[in-house]
Amino acid sequence: MKNNILIIGGGPAGLEASSILVKMGYNVILVEKEKELGGHLAKWDTLFPDGLKAEDLLKSLIKKTEGVKCFTDTQVQSVNILDKSYNVILSNGITVLADALLLATGFDLFKAEKKEEYGYGIYEGVITNADLEQFFKGKFSIKKPKAVGFVHCVGSRDEKACNPACSKVCCATAVKQACHIKETFEEADVFCFYMDLRMFGRHYEDLYLKAQKMGIRFIRGRVSEVAETSEGRLLVKAEDTLSSKPIKVTLDTLVLMAGMRPSESGYMVGHQLNLSVEEDGFFSTKDTMLSLQKSNLEGLFFAGAATGPKTLPDTLHEARSAAMEIDNYLTKK
Amino acid sequence: MTALLQTLYTYSQITPEGIIDRYPNSYNHFVLPFVIGISFIMVYLLIGLIRILYHLTAEDRKRLFISLFTPKTALKNIKDIFCDCLLHTKIWKRKPLLGYMHSAIAFGWFMLIVLGHIEVALFAPRHLDSVADGALYYPIFYRFFIWMSPEHETLRGSLFFFLMDFFLLYVLSGIALAMYKRVRSIALGMRHTTKPSLADRVALYCLWAIFPLRLLAEGFTADLSGGSFLTKPLNMLFRNFFGNELNFLPTWWLYSICLGLFFLAMPFSRYMHILTEPLLIVMRNAGLKVRKPRKGFAEAEIYACSSCGLCLDACPMNTQKKNLKYSSVYFIRFLRRHNEKKINEIADKCLMCGKCYALCPVGVNSPDIRRAQRETLNHKLSFDFTPMDNFRLKENSEESAEIMYFAGCMSHLTPKIIKSVTSVLESAGKKFIFADREGGICCGRPMLLAGRTEAAKELISKNKKMIMESGCKILLLSCPICYKVFKDDYDLKGIRVLHYTQYLNELIEKGELKVSKGSSSMVYHDPCELGRGCGVYEEPRNVLRSIGELKKAEKERDESICCGGSLGSLTLDNKDRGKIAESSINNLTAENPQSIVTACPLCYRSFREKSPIPVKDFAEVVCENIKSN
Repeated sequence: MKNNILIIGGGPAGLEASSILVKMGYNVILVEKEKELGGHLAKWDTLFPDGLKAEDLLKSLIKKTEGVKCFTDTQVQSVNILDKSYNVILSNGITVLADALLLATGFDLFKAEKKEEYGYGIYEGVITNADLEQFFKGKFSIKKPKAVGFVHCVGSRDEKACNPACSKVCCATAVKQACHIKETFEEADVFCFYMDLRMFGRHYEDLYLKAQKMGIRFIRGRVSEVAETSEGRLLVKAEDTLSSKPIKVTLDTLVLMAGMRPSESGYMVGHQLNLSVEEDGFFSTKDTMLSLQKSNLEGLFFAGAATGPKTLPDTLHEARSAAMEIDNYLTKK
Repeated sequence: MTALLQTLYTYSQITPEGIIDRYPNSYNHFVLPFVIGISFIMVYLLIGLIRILYHLTAEDRKRLFISLFTPKTALKNIKDIFCDCLLHTKIWKRKPLLGYMHSAIAFGWFMLIVLGHIEVALFAPRHLDSVADGALYYPIFYRFFIWMSPEHETLRGSLFFFLMDFFLLYVLSGIALAMYKRVRSIALGMRHTTKPSLADRVALYCLWAIFPLRLLAEGFTADLSGGSFLTKPLNMLFRNFFGNELNFLPTWWLYSICLGLFFLAMPFSRYMHILTEPLLIVMRNAGLKVRKPRKGFAEAEIYACSSCGLCLDACPMNTQKKNLKYSSVYFIRFLRRHNEKKINEIADKCLMCGKCYALCPVGVNSPDIRRAQRETLNHKLSFDFTPMDNFRLKENSEESAEIMYFAGCMSHLTPKIIKSVTSVLESAGKKFIFADREGGICCGRPMLLAGRTEAAKELISKNKKMIMESGCKILLLSCPICYKVFKDDYDLKGIRVLHYTQYLNELIEKGELKVSKGSSSMVYHDPCELGRGCGVYEEPRNVLRSIGELKKAEKERDESICCGGSLGSLTLDNKDRGKIAESSINNLTAENPQSIVTACPLCYRSFREKSPIPVKDFAEVVCENIKSN
């Protein structure tokens, strides 16, 4: 008899894990709350460090999932822990008896309007990283800017936003987006306001170098507040900590690099299962080294950003190891 | 007047018939403990008074002296002393049972002393003449020293007997409540009470014992010296038990010892406030302010603290029990003991919301003492405001407007407030100068709160120059923190300083701004600096009532709970602030309003983090409900 595996979340992690598990011969059911598969990846235009088209990556991920039962526009209504399995009722009325559960619930972007001093939702020129990707995809419009600024760490590394942790991907995304903007509007001045640039991955540093060569200006210091000038442009106040001086820059577009927060729908599922979360709000794993895919519950596994901010390659790795852990678990059983 | 006094005096010199001193020289050894105690406390008070006066600045001393002879303040002094020290009207208003307890002990005891002296003045006046005749103790132990022939009982005498017994009963009822409060304070409306120190305990138990002992002592002698409805029956009861030979000296000894011990412990205990509160009232009415945290006026405040602990329940930090130690009562206790380390920690932790001051029955301005304490450390920190010299008012070149809008740093962190204020002004057709549209200088209040008075003065002078040069008539503020400092510390002659709640209320009342009434319900949160700080409670409520249904918070106006975001605290961390915000929100949502409205950018920010229902700014709500013509 084929074991049932339920995967919650149809983003990169869920897709990759489901395709591997289905090849192993399991009966895989994938639940996605949105109408389309792909999670945040579906909303992105290009990916750092080499500008790979998100659409292409997503297509190839979906292509591999042949044989997986996908329920989109579907949410988990309730989960019950049975003796050696999980009884899951979905919002489309289907009940699944799953031998293993994989939480690939990912992340939500930090709600940028919470940092009201940056004026998201108040000033027209203030947008988020997600909005900018939509613009690159041609689904969002901005006026042709003379000057553009990027604010790193919005809702990350910020005690006041209740998140002292780093979101890991925003630095590289910002540099990538800054280059993209400079390519789109060659005349525009582009500024990046950063705390420190965390360009840790392979080729990331090259991206940074490229940006500098393109004339993007990096200012080390946080933006304190954004005001509107009498002409309706954005007056950005920040501190340049390298020259130890307060600075003011007038911009037309300000992009807020919203960080990663635990996904709300993931939290709802975890709450029903009494899963513990760490101080950052993401699920806690069984340990911090050897069993990163395991939870404290038998037969419940994690992959991707459900356990903290991750880059896409990390997420895909996790999906693969989660598939292996699940296979191990079910074979032993 | 003098003639009347003369007659009274000569009249009182005549000893009525039938009253005989039982002891020829009116002395017995048992009075010694009391005499020692009362002498000690009098000397202590005298030295303390000299110390306090010595530490006042010459200007303050002069001001105090003049106020004593200004009829208006002198009358106010008398009224305040009577209401606050004896009747405790402030406690009555908030917690009647607690008020009764305090006034029973204070007013009752006061009346016993006064009536006792009048009695002596009427019936044995020579004993009031000099210390040698026992003036110090005789009126207190009057009943011990006299023998009254039962045939000569007069109506006047009986009236005094009755009054004395009546007030003794009044005090005893207060003492009984006090004992009950020790066991179950919540019954009298107090969730937390202070931990008493050793001296507090000694004084407390003596205080509890004094009046029952007095009852016993006077009961023992009631057949000799007379008595009324309490002491007479008690005397008969004793006779039934002990026969006719009553050995009453031990109770009188005990009574005297308790009084003496009470006075000896008094300066080191909370009960010092009984004697020092009048001094504080007089100094406060003279308009004195705290200049140093431990000397002069502050010392009068410190010794006037009754350590009652009402500030424990008032303090917003005390939603968590671990923060009880930062309450004003302990701050003042440590100040009194010169415990520098703890004083500084507590001084820095406080949110300066002023609720403890608002609810303090004695009126000890502990936020101000904390500010003075911060000053002792922080005034040394250096500052450099040279970049400010380049600051110019950009919009000055445009046509001059009557109104200057100063948003302040905090409103700039909440641009929605600025947008709402400017658009409301525009819909009312008002021209205004936006003083800090593209950045400005801080109002100085945060520096003042942190005890950096010199730095604040610099900011204040720069801003003042800018405002005076602009030629505006109204200075409009959207931040209560700015509003308080512009109102209190700027001295802007000829310019009306208004918070936007006041100004919009005016516009609506004058009909210059029309709002439509909706059906949504809201609750208004009184920001600390606006409510307790500046006394603005009515104007915002007025406006909100004309916009929607205004619901009540569980505690509001001067009892409103700080949002936790106050700039006043220098060391409180985000977690603790979050807890305070939650408790404040719980207080606000008692009647299930649809939204919370506040009039301070800081409250707005703190609430938005935690609130389950929408949090709106006052101007935002007005802006949403403007009736377009």
